[in-house]
Amino acid sequence: MTVIWTQDGIVENDPWAQPGSDSGSKLLPLAEALEHARDNAAFGVVLQPADDVRALAPILDRVAIIALTFPAFSDGRAFSQAMLLRERLGYQGEMRAVGTVLLDQVPLMLRTGFDSFEVAHAPTIKRLAEKRLPGIDLHYQPAADETHAGPGYSWRRTAMLNG
Amino acid sequence: MYRYDEFDHAFVAARVNQFRDQVERRLSGEISEDAFKPLRLMNGVYLQLHAYMLRVAVPYGTLNSRQMRKLAHIARTYDRGYGHFTTRQNIQYNWPKLSDMPEILEELAEVEMHAIQTSGNCIRNVTADHFAGAAADEVADPRPYAEILRQWSSVHPEFSFLPRKFKIAVTAAERDRAAIQTHDIGLQLKKNDKGELGFAVWIGGGQGRTPILAKKVRDFLPEADLLSYVTAIMRVYNLHGRRDNKYKARIKILVHETGVEKLTTEIEAEWAHLKDGELKLPEADIAAINAYFEPPKLGDRAEGWGELAAWKRSDPGFADWVGRNVAPHQHPDYGMVTISLKPIGGIPGDATAEQMDAVARLAEDYSHDEIRVTHEQNLVLPHVALADLEPLYRALLVEGLATANAGLITDIIACPGLDYCALANARSIPVAQEISNRFGDPARQAEIGDLKIKISGCINACGHHHVGHIGILGVEKKGAELYQISLGGSADENASIGQITGRGFGPDQITDAIETIVDTYLTERISSEETFIACYRRIGAEPFKAALYASEAEAA
Amino acid sequence: MKTAATKTKVLTANRLTDGIAVWLGANGEWTTSLKEAFLARHDDAVAAIESAGQQALDDNRVVDVNVIEVEETEAGPRPFRLRERIRSDGPTIDYAPAFTAGVSHAA
Ligand code: SF4
Repeated sequence: MTVIWTQDGIVENDPWAQPGSDSGSKLLPLAEALEHARDNAAFGVVLQPADDVRALAPILDRVAIIALTFPAFSDGRAFSQAMLLRERLGYQGEMRAVGTVLLDQVPLMLRTGFDSFEVAHAPTIKRLAEKRLPGIDLHYQPAADETHAGPGYSWRRTAMLNG
Repeated sequence: MYRYDEFDHAFVAARVNQFRDQVERRLSGEISEDAFKPLRLMNGVYLQLHAYMLRVAVPYGTLNSRQMRKLAHIARTYDRGYGHFTTRQNIQYNWPKLSDMPEILEELAEVEMHAIQTSGNCIRNVTADHFAGAAADEVADPRPYAEILRQWSSVHPEFSFLPRKFKIAVTAAERDRAAIQTHDIGLQLKKNDKGELGFAVWIGGGQGRTPILAKKVRDFLPEADLLSYVTAIMRVYNLHGRRDNKYKARIKILVHETGVEKLTTEIEAEWAHLKDGELKLPEADIAAINAYFEPPKLGDRAEGWGELAAWKRSDPGFADWVGRNVAPHQHPDYGMVTISLKPIGGIPGDATAEQMDAVARLAEDYSHDEIRVTHEQNLVLPHVALADLEPLYRALLVEGLATANAGLITDIIACPGLDYCALANARSIPVAQEISNRFGDPARQAEIGDLKIKISGCINACGHHHVGHIGILGVEKKGAELYQISLGGSADENASIGQITGRGFGPDQITDAIETIVDTYLTERISSEETFIACYRRIGAEPFKAALYASEAEAA
Repeated sequence: MKTAATKTKVLTANRLTDGIAVWLGANGEWTTSLKEAFLARHDDAVAAIESAGQQALDDNRVVDVNVIEVEETEAGPRPFRLRERIRSDGPTIDYAPAFTAGVSHAA
């Protein structure tokens, strides 16, 4: 079974459904989202790796959630899409990783600004539920997450440990 | 050289633990091989024909004795007593157990080493001129910048799942010893007319199936902008590099298909947003990293000049070795010594644990504790007083490390090939050995002069055959090994890609074919001053082809 | 049931824990010697080793499982492909002076 996980734990009753499902609020593909932005209901967008995230700029304040797709673990375009959304476009809403989400990628996704994750692999769900992330708290580069500066050189960061 | 601070130590320790957890999950069956493979590759662990292989990074080719001793210890304890130095300033172990890997990495971490990103579709070990910090012709030491790049690229959250592997090389001399034009990004450290340091930036070089030389995208990038500019290149590549075909996924294809002007415009547009952001390098940080690379205090040793001349007169073997393997140092009383890992008939790049220990000891005694690993699969002692050359030579002789062939026909680059590599089509090492034996006579080698032979066992080109003066590529044809020859390649500042001569040669014909090429050169050259590559560039491929395929032409 | 004769096949893989090349033996255990490999001479036997391979893969005992073709010679099975001969006999070069001094060399 697929679940949604955030750093607060597994999400019960997540309202967002992938396109094609008939219940819940919709995650719309980019073209439909641009269209839909003219009426007033809240909506989310699901982007594919080839989509230009900059197209969302004019309607970004209307978007409640953006799902970025990993069609395979090896397709890392969404890492750059996420950085652009957070750093360049200043998007503050929920950003979800969907598709092939490997446990060992979750720490990198958190750093590039993702905050919710669609996961189906049972051992991964278990690890995430126990909040045992295989990440490293010391970073050699700034990213989109909140971190402490340094120590030492300008490019270094350390994680903010929650709890 | 750079020394880890607390942060680096803690980071590498955390990375070892992360990998330990990944290995445990694999061994317990929690994750499948498909899920584990990208994780192990990201830490340099391959599965080869006979066993796992571990590739350990030697960042920008710099080692101290303690590190070299650790490499020897690992060879002895976890492997079969030897290691293989590669064309990317790495060392590979051919027989480690998966279950031992976490322990090996822990041992490496003790001496400030790791295997992070020595494989996988990420930014690989950053390489540099192996003579950096000692060469008479450099404008500054390129290694501090390689170190900054090494740190910045380590476990990079955005650039760990690129379309394909990504290689960066840095050099600081007009004479390019780091082959920057065959890298995804090549950086040449230089000074502008105001005397400020910065980089000429090249992108899109690469070998493999489609060899392409890099294009210059910037003539001068101020040093403070190094990380922001590289980030801009990486981001454009990550978003737009092809992912539909692994043979078209390197940045060279993106450059080729998009056009260098258009791609440069995109990179510059991205950079405009990043330029003044948090990646800008403060002067103090650049200075602090540079301070680690302060050259050792080399006292004057002028007595070496006279002694050297006397020793050379009394021992022609020593004189040959000095002539071939010792290059001028910044300090006139010193030299940079190449320790050849190409004994006649030996395995290019292999060193036993005992040899590694010996090199460590000799580096302490004669080279201010510094060792370098070259992309030509040799080692270097960068700071040796001329007055110490003779005892050093004697000691190297005992260890079988005094072969006087740097840059000669027997100084062959060869990848592991089908003797080890799971991707290989043909063997490389036995071909290198046979050529080495055929031309091993010192007088004959000297007569032939500078000539670089490079051998790969498949189209991945780890043996750099495209840029060999003579390149040899192993292919498989109807179940048998066959070797294609290319001529005229070069990896230096006048880089070029070799051209294939024609049909390939079987394992029992390839050495004869190389001899035919060499004989043709010896006949055609204007004088012994004209090197093989110069001669080839003057006369072209035809005389060589005519000689190689003479019998066929007659038959036709 | 009799099935069509094919070229003789054996099942090979690398052990998960140490990566060493192994072949599926007649007793169902993985062996480091090709000589002890089970020779599948007809389709049913090939199907059986294939499914044994899949099982061993699923059980995380081995990786990189492949059925390879061999020729039956007096000295034992000899793979058709050079790659597989090298996997079974080791590197064709004198690669580890200290290590191989103590081990006899298969030519
Ligand atoms: S060139 Fe091919 S055979 Fe040689 S090491 Fe690379 S992948 Fe293996």
